[in-house]
Amino acid sequence: MKLCVSSTGKDIGSWVDTTFGRAPYFLIIDTETMDVVEVVENTAATAGHGAGIAAAQLVSDKGVDGVLTGYVGPNAYNALHAAGISIFEGASSQETVKEAIAKFKKDEYHKASAPSEVPPCEPGRGKGPGRGMGRGRGKCRRP
Amino acid sequence: MQKTIEGNFQSEIIAAYHEKNFETPVIGVTGGKGGVGKTTVAVNIACALVNMGYKVALVDADVDAPNAAILLGMTLENSLDVFITRPLINESKCNSCGACVEVCRLNALFLPKDKAPVLLGACNGCEACLLVCETNAIHRGKKTVGKTYKTNRGNLTLYTGELIPSLEESAIVVEKLKERIFQEAADFDIIVVDTSPGAHCNVIKALQGSDSVITVTEPTPLGAHDFELILKLLDIFELKGTAFLNRADLPSPKDAVQKIAQDHNTTVAAELNTDDLLIKSYVSGDPIVTMFPEAASAITFVRLAHEIAQEYLI
Repeated sequence: MKLCVSSTGKDIGSWVDTTFGRAPYFLIIDTETMDVVEVVENTAATAGHGAGIAAAQLVSDKGVDGVLTGYVGPNAYNALHAAGISIFEGASSQETVKEAIAKFKKDEYHKASAPSEVPPCEPGRGKGPGRGMGRGRGKCRRP
Repeated sequence: MQKTIEGNFQSEIIAAYHEKNFETPVIGVTGGKGGVGKTTVAVNIACALVNMGYKVALVDADVDAPNAAILLGMTLENSLDVFITRPLINESKCNSCGACVEVCRLNALFLPKDKAPVLLGACNGCEACLLVCETNAIHRGKKTVGKTYKTNRGNLTLYTGELIPSLEESAIVVEKLKERIFQEAADFDIIVVDTSPGAHCNVIKALQGSDSVITVTEPTPLGAHDFELILKLLDIFELKGTAFLNRADLPSPKDAVQKIAQDHNTTVAAELNTDDLLIKSYVSGDPIVTMFPEAASAITFVRLAHEIAQEYLI
C-alpha cells in the first residue's frame, strides 16, 4: 500500500505533522517494504485559501492509497473521499513517521468515515533540555 | 497585458473612474470614521433637496449595515438579488485536464483522478475556471450574495444595497447597486451616495462617478485620524469636495481637523453642534429638515442643499 504520512521533515525519522493541509512535507511510503517512495514538499501549506483541498490534490496526483495524519479538515476530507483515498487519523506529533507506520501496520489508527468536527487536542512535544535539578542519591560522606 | 499602476496608466484609471454616461450630478457623502454622521448628513441633504422640489435618488452604499431607510422611516421595497457565478461542471464535456484546478486561486476545485472536478471550497465567482476550460465544460451557475432595493416616496427614491451577513462579496453588492442607480440616473435631478466608513474598495466603488464629495468628521483624535485617511484617498482618486464638521462643540480642540482640511485644500463648509432635536429626529425615523425645520441643524442642512443646487442644478 502507498501510504502518505504528513511530516515535519524529509526522512522517515522526522516527527509526524498532525495537520494534513498545512504539513510541510508528505512522505509517501510503501508499507510492505517501509521504503520512502517519494518525498513531496507540500506547496499548499502556505496557501491563503483551500490548503486542504490543494494538499489533497497534490497527494491524489501521486496515486497514494491512503493518508495517515493527525487530523484532516472537512474540505480535505471531502477531496480525499472523492478521490477514493483512505483517511487514517489520530497520529501524534510525539511519534516519528517510522513509529507511526509501525503502529499503522498494527491497525492502531481508525479509518475516518466522516469529517471530524474539531481538531483533536494534544499536548505539545517538549523540545527543551531537562532542568537538571535531580538530587544526588549517594551517601553523605563527611570529611 | 500586465502593467503597473503608474504614469499614464494611472491617469487612464482616474479618467475612467470619473466617467459617467448621464448628466445627473452625483454627490458623495463619506467620512472615514464610523458614527460621525454620514447617513444623517446624506439623508437630510437629500430630503432638503426634495423639499426644494427636486427629484432625488439617495443611495445607501453601506452594504454591510444599510440603515438610511431607518432614518427615513421607510420599509425597503423592490428587491433584486445580487449574484456571483458558481461554476457548474458538465462532466460529459470535461476532459479532466486540470487547468481549472490549477488556475483557481482559492483552491476551491478538486480533481479526482480521471474524473470531472468538484467544487469543494469557497468560490468567489471570479470565473477564471470558465476562461481556461478548453472544452467549455464549465457553465455559469448562480449564488446569491445580497440584494439591492429601490424604495420610492414622492420625489425621494432610496436605493439600498444589502450583503448577506458572513459573506465577503460586499464590493460586488456595491457595484450592482451603483449599476442599478446609474442605469436609472436620467430619472433624477440629483444623486446622493452615502458610503460605508473606511477608506477601502467599497468606499472607492461607492464614490465612483461623484462630482463632489462631502467628508463628514468630528473634532476628536479618531475623527481627525480617519479624516486624514479619507482625504488622502480622495486625493488619489482626484475627487474634490468639502468637509462637514459634526459635533463641532465637543470639548475637544478643532485645530487638528482644520489643519488636515487645509493641508488637503478642503474647505469646512459646515459645522454642526450637538443638538437634542437632531437626536429626536434620529430616533423617530423622520429627518430633522422635515421634523424640525426651524432647528439650527436643519437650517445648516438646507443651506448646504441650496449651495449644492446653486452649483449643480441651476
